[in-house]
This record gives sequence, C-alpha cells and structure tokens, in this order.
Amino acid sequence: MSDRVNDLAFYQDLADLMNAHPDQYETLGEVDFTLGVLMAAEGGNDLRLRLRFEDLGCADVSPLSEGGEASCDCWLEGDTDSWGEMFDDITTNGRATGRRTINSLTLVGDRIDVRGDDPMGVDKFFRFNQTIQQFFDGAAQLAPSSA
Amino acid sequence: MALATDESVHELPEMTPMGNPLDWSWLRGTRAEWGMNPVPSRRGLTMMDIATGTYGEVLEEPPYRSMAPRGADIDEDTPDMGYILNHKSQVWADNVVELYEEAVARQWSSTRDIPWNELQELPSDIEHAMCQLCTVLTEIEMIATDLPAKWMWRMNHHFVEAKMFLATQIMDEARHADVFRKRALANGGGLLLSGSGDESLLRSILEAKTYTQASALLHLLGEGFILDVFRQGELIAPTHVEKKIFRLSMQDEARHVAYGTMHIRQAIAGDPDVADEIHEALDHGEQFLIEFGTSPVLSSALAILLGGGSEHIEDKGFPMQSLLATKIFTSYLARCERAGLNRIDRTDLPLELLGIDIDAFDRTGV
Repeated sequence: MSDRVNDLAFYQDLADLMNAHPDQYETLGEVDFTLGVLMAAEGGNDLRLRLRFEDLGCADVSPLSEGGEASCDCWLEGDTDSWGEMFDDITTNGRATGRRTINSLTLVGDRIDVRGDDPMGVDKFFRFNQTIQQFFDGAAQLAPSSA
Repeated sequence: MALATDESVHELPEMTPMGNPLDWSWLRGTRAEWGMNPVPSRRGLTMMDIATGTYGEVLEEPPYRSMAPRGADIDEDTPDMGYILNHKSQVWADNVVELYEEAVARQWSSTRDIPWNELQELPSDIEHAMCQLCTVLTEIEMIATDLPAKWMWRMNHHFVEAKMFLATQIMDEARHADVFRKRALANGGGLLLSGSGDESLLRSILEAKTYTQASALLHLLGEGFILDVFRQGELIAPTHVEKKIFRLSMQDEARHVAYGTMHIRQAIAGDPDVADEIHEALDHGEQFLIEFGTSPVLSSALAILLGGGSEHIEDKGFPMQSLLATKIFTSYLARCERAGLNRIDRTDLPLELLGIDIDAFDRTGV
C-alpha cells in the first residue's frame, strides 16, 4: 500500500469508492470541506493533492500547486513515510487503529500535523472527522491489484 | 414579487354557523411575499435555500418581540414576549444557518451507531481511568444544554435559525451525556468520582451576566477545551468503540465552537464595547478552566490513559499531557483572535509554562 501513497490515482480510487457507496456516509451527513495533503518525500517527490468533499461524496481529487494549500479549508502536512504507515495500518487492520487514526496523528503532530490559515477552516477537520477517517479507511477495501 | 392576493375569492361567509367571526384577509391578500419557489439543493431543501426575499432578511433590530415568524404579515398589536436579546449581534453568527443544517444532517444515536458489543475487557487501571473520564464528561456535558436553554426563551424569535441551532446543541449535549454514561457502565465498570472543582467552572458559565459572556465562556473557552479533550479521547481510546464515540462527539463539539467563535466576532462587530465584558468573563473563566484542567482527578485519569497504563504515567503520560496542553491553549487563543479578541496580551494563562509561542499570533484576527 505505501508504494501507492504518492500516486494521485490512489486517492481517485478512494474517491470512487466513496462515491459508489453514499449510503455508507449518509448517517454521517453531508460534507462541505476542502482538504489539502502535503507530504514531503525524500528526493523531492512530494505528495501535494487537494480533496474536495461535497454532500456525501468526494467531488474532486486534484494536484495542489505550490502555495495552493491556501485555497483549502486546512491541510495535512507531514512526510510520506508516516503517511504510508497510516495506510499500511488501515490495510492490515481494516481501519486505522491506535495512534494511527488521522485525528491521533495530527493531535500529537510530530510527524503529521493539521494546519490552516483560519482556525475556522481547521475546525472543519474536526467537524467532518468521522467522514474523513472513513474515506481513508476505504483503503482497506481497495482490491489488492489496485493497492 | 406578487402578493398573496386572489380577487376571485368573494362572497365568503363572515361568521361560522356557531356565530364566531371569520377573517379571510390571509386569503385575500397579505403583505407577506408569495410565490417564492425556492430551488432545493442537491441535498434537499435547506434553510439556506428558503432564505430568499424578506424571509432571508435578518434585521439588525426587528420591530416586534413576538414569536411571529420572520417574513409573515404580522399584526401590529402582536404581544411583546419579553425578549431581552433583540439585536442581531447579541445572538447571531454568520455561519449559524449552515451549522444548523450540518447539525441536522450529522445527528447520530448512541444506541444505534456505537458497536457496544465489540467492547473489550481492559486492564483494571485503564478501565477505571476511562470510567473516570466518562464520569467527568457526563457531568460537564449537560452545562451545554442548560446554558442555551437558560437564554433561548429570551431571544427574539426573528433570529429563529440561531435558536434552532442552539436546539441542536442541546440535543447534541444530551447525547454526549448519554453516550459517556453508557460507556462508563457498559464494560464492567461504572461511574466514579465527581469532584467539587468541576462544579465551580460550570457555575461560572451558568451565572454569566449576558448571553454573549455566557457564549464566550461556553462555546469559545469551555467547548473549545472539551473539543480537545475529545481529540485526546480518540487518541487514547483503548478500542475502536471508544474511538468512534470520541470522533462523533468531537464533530458535534466542533460545530458548537464554530458557532461561538463567529458569534463573538459578530457581537464585537455590532458593539465594540462588548469586547471588554467578554474579556472580563474570560479572565475569570480561564482561571476556572486551569483549575478544572489540572484537577487531581481529571489529570490523573488522563495521565493513565495517555501513558497507556499506570506504569507509564511519568515517562509517557505526563509528557504527553504537557504537549497536548500546549495545543489546547494555542487553539483557544487562535480562536479568540479569529473572534476578534486579543487574549494574548491580556490573559493570565501561564503561556511560557504552557510552551506557547506568542509570536505566532498576529493579534489582528483573521
């Protein structure tokens, strides 16, 4: 799994999974949230993407330009190794566990942190946290061939 | 916009067969707007969709103090309900309509949505600590039902969306009291110690002199703190069952904080002098919060949970508590700035001890 975390197509697969099963998100309620993901990789192959969540789905997965995070409600910032470990945990256990949930990782904040220009935007990360966690947990459901 | 007039309706009786008078003015034409035809959004017909024309015009100072719905053709002699919060800035927040819809969409059930049968037997110290945390949370969550309820009936009904949002907050907090009470009992434990220090904080919030002071204490200070306690709860949750409890509760709490932050901003914009009374309330509230947050009962329970057991209180529990305290108060101070309150230069919080970088704040609000 961790070998795909730098691949935009991986996040599009997660988005497709979410969009194919709105019923699984219905009890969580609609979302209006734009999340940036900025993960630094050795060698400069950084992951920079924008996830746009609307209603019960992920409406857009797109690359994030330099400085483009300012257009997001907030963004996650860290390194691809930690990011990949989170997805490895998800695929191993079926969901993020222990201190590898997205809230836990950003609360400790030593390897992955949540940042934003506006505290109201950062607070959206908490308002929609269960939806975001479920979106990432979708990695456990992706077929091994696509993982 | 056409008025509600239908000239074809005529020769209607003026009295009922029982001799009671009838009033057909609602049928023959009122001053209220008619034929709005709001267009539902993808998620359905929201309060934002129907906020069109005069129905969406929230006045700074509504002319009536009754329960008459905003946008209706209101009798001039409609009674005064005794509302004391009659200015928009006293209750409103620019995000309150969206937050109401969000709250309605994201309601959950502690009975149905928590996989209670997947709880696992825990080491005794961890189970005790979780039960103690749940005891504290069960106790303090109901303040956030009592406080809005204390003020809602004094709010002008013109600001109905703000009252509707606060009604969702009351339901949210009832659910939190419910879910933490259930968790305390569900895994072989029970409720533990209710410390007297907790009640001091709650009383200071409940006895605030104005709604805006109360909102600053509750939404900005108290719930901002509890939001971070819920984040910690998710971090330290022994199983995915507790993680889900804390995540869902966190979502609710973040909505309340979002309302409070923007309400305080609106209150100060409407009357800059209000900032002084908010500062005064927070001066006291922060001291109570420090006492509450460092209470021997709560901090010892959190230290065990953060350390992963009583054997790791000192090498893991306390250091983690210290790290998280920095985050909690940094978030709080950032929200104050967003609300238009410069607390950095006024607070008596031990910023240096808390490890807060005061140069990171621009002190101008966003």
